[in-house]
Amino acid sequence: MRIKIINPGILSTIQDQGRFGYLSQAVPVSGAMDKLAAQVANAAVGNNAGDAVIEFTYAGASFTAETDVLIAYSGSGGTFICNNRLVPAGRPVFIPAGRSVQLMNDPSCRRIFLAITGGWKVPPVLGSRSTYLPAALGGYQGRRLKAGDILESEGECTEISRKILRRFSGTRLNYPGWHIARQQFVNGRANRIRVIASREYDWFKESSLRTFLSKPYVIGLRSNRMGYFLDGPVLEKLQPGELLSTAVTPGTIQVSNDGTPVLLMADCQTTGGYPRIAAVASIDLSFCGQLYPGDTIYFTLISRREAEILYLERQKSLDQLRASVEYKFS
Amino acid sequence: MQQEVAHFPHLAIFSLNEQVVTVEFGNAISDSCMQEVGRLHRLLHQTPFPGFLDTVPAYATLSVFFDPAAVIASGELKGNNSFERVASFVRKLHSSGQQPATAETTVVNMPICYGGKYGPDLEELAQLHQLSPDELVRLHCNATYRVAMIGFVPGFAYLAGMDVALETPRKQVPRQVVPAGSVGIAGRQTGIYPLETPGGWQLVGRTPLGMFNAAKPQPSLLKMGDTIRFQPISSLEFEKIYADKDH
Repeated sequence: MRIKIINPGILSTIQDQGRFGYLSQAVPVSGAMDKLAAQVANAAVGNNAGDAVIEFTYAGASFTAETDVLIAYSGSGGTFICNNRLVPAGRPVFIPAGRSVQLMNDPSCRRIFLAITGGWKVPPVLGSRSTYLPAALGGYQGRRLKAGDILESEGECTEISRKILRRFSGTRLNYPGWHIARQQFVNGRANRIRVIASREYDWFKESSLRTFLSKPYVIGLRSNRMGYFLDGPVLEKLQPGELLSTAVTPGTIQVSNDGTPVLLMADCQTTGGYPRIAAVASIDLSFCGQLYPGDTIYFTLISRREAEILYLERQKSLDQLRASVEYKFS
Repeated sequence: MQQEVAHFPHLAIFSLNEQVVTVEFGNAISDSCMQEVGRLHRLLHQTPFPGFLDTVPAYATLSVFFDPAAVIASGELKGNNSFERVASFVRKLHSSGQQPATAETTVVNMPICYGGKYGPDLEELAQLHQLSPDELVRLHCNATYRVAMIGFVPGFAYLAGMDVALETPRKQVPRQVVPAGSVGIAGRQTGIYPLETPGGWQLVGRTPLGMFNAAKPQPSLLKMGDTIRFQPISSLEFEKIYADKDH
């Protein structure tokens, strides 16, 4: 299967579930900003959870199916259309060769993840297909997608993918009546981000901790795949103190010297020197991956154990999801 | 809210989030801390536990990344939750007295072209420290350095061991573009930029060597614990080595 990028939109890259094994050489985790949406899109076409997807940022992107393709997408806000027909999210969609598909112009479109049967074919670099732009590493030639790029799917695919393909192949746009809602895996309250206290939590004044856990913070303009600067009340330390550089990870909330919290995201560095007030629980990290400048969020403290239980429950329901897709085609 | 912290003799283990625990050996830069971090880092990669993903070694901490689902599913690890299970595994490994199979660290001689367009801050730094540019170069390249950690961007080595006379704060306004290979000073540390990035370190020279190459099995030229010596070279030698390296 093959597509040609007509319009890459603002920023489109190949991503997967992230890169591990080279953190000690400061190669970041990277991967999809919304790893849940990437998994939902993959599950819908019968792929493995870690297969490569395209991450589109905001609306406007478009591509042409150069061969018959079976795709699925998931994310926040965006809708694909093909010949003025809606291509519904969260389900396998068969598109015959020659058709153009575009991400409809819609201001609510955030990050959309596009999966194809077998996953997108790019060579794994240091164990992952994720693109890390600052080092021109991985993905499609280490760079963002451009108009004219030809993307192919891997030749191999799962047994379930083959069954889905057989069911929907033909000469017209075709898809099942069921769909997988990414929302069903998001059990939190909108804009309430659950966090765990981090190592330097108690470096901050009691009043600043209360502020952090009650006042609104707005995603700042200085925001990208590496992290978000948060506009809101500044946070004060009990006493001046320097942190010896140590590990940070996507979801870590650092507080810079002027008291501004910074929420680190997929492409963040492996180490940092600012105090870490809190860490976003994994369950809410995908929600954070769909934020953009101007969005308002609040933080709520939970325990590490609660975060672990929520994570384990989500993993279990994602496993069940893959089993139920398989069941539909057995 | 109380954090979960497991205290053991000489080390504290705490959670960075529900998928990472950090082992803390101290809170200052010291050779003994760096050695302990390096030892546990290598031991974990040689004898990983079920669900182990990776480690981030830093000056005085080693952070251990894992998949909680795999840790919980394993019958091998003991504990009520993934934190207890990983912390207990790490503690046992640490106190086992086991040494990693090989030391793995190497001595790297690095050619550096000091000053001029390669080290645009050298003159200013020499004036600041009331040294001649030659004296500054001598102080900088006579020291033996140790890679304390790799951080910031892939392959960026933080080197400990610089002569305290060269201690200099970062630039007030960081540069938008620092060329790959640039050698800088920040505080008591010296470091080498592997990629062209923005940066605020005071630049004294540049190495023609490639610091990071994703096509190699060990992409970063330097790794934690390596010993580094700088060898001053001329701009002619710089251009020759630079032209010969495989890009």
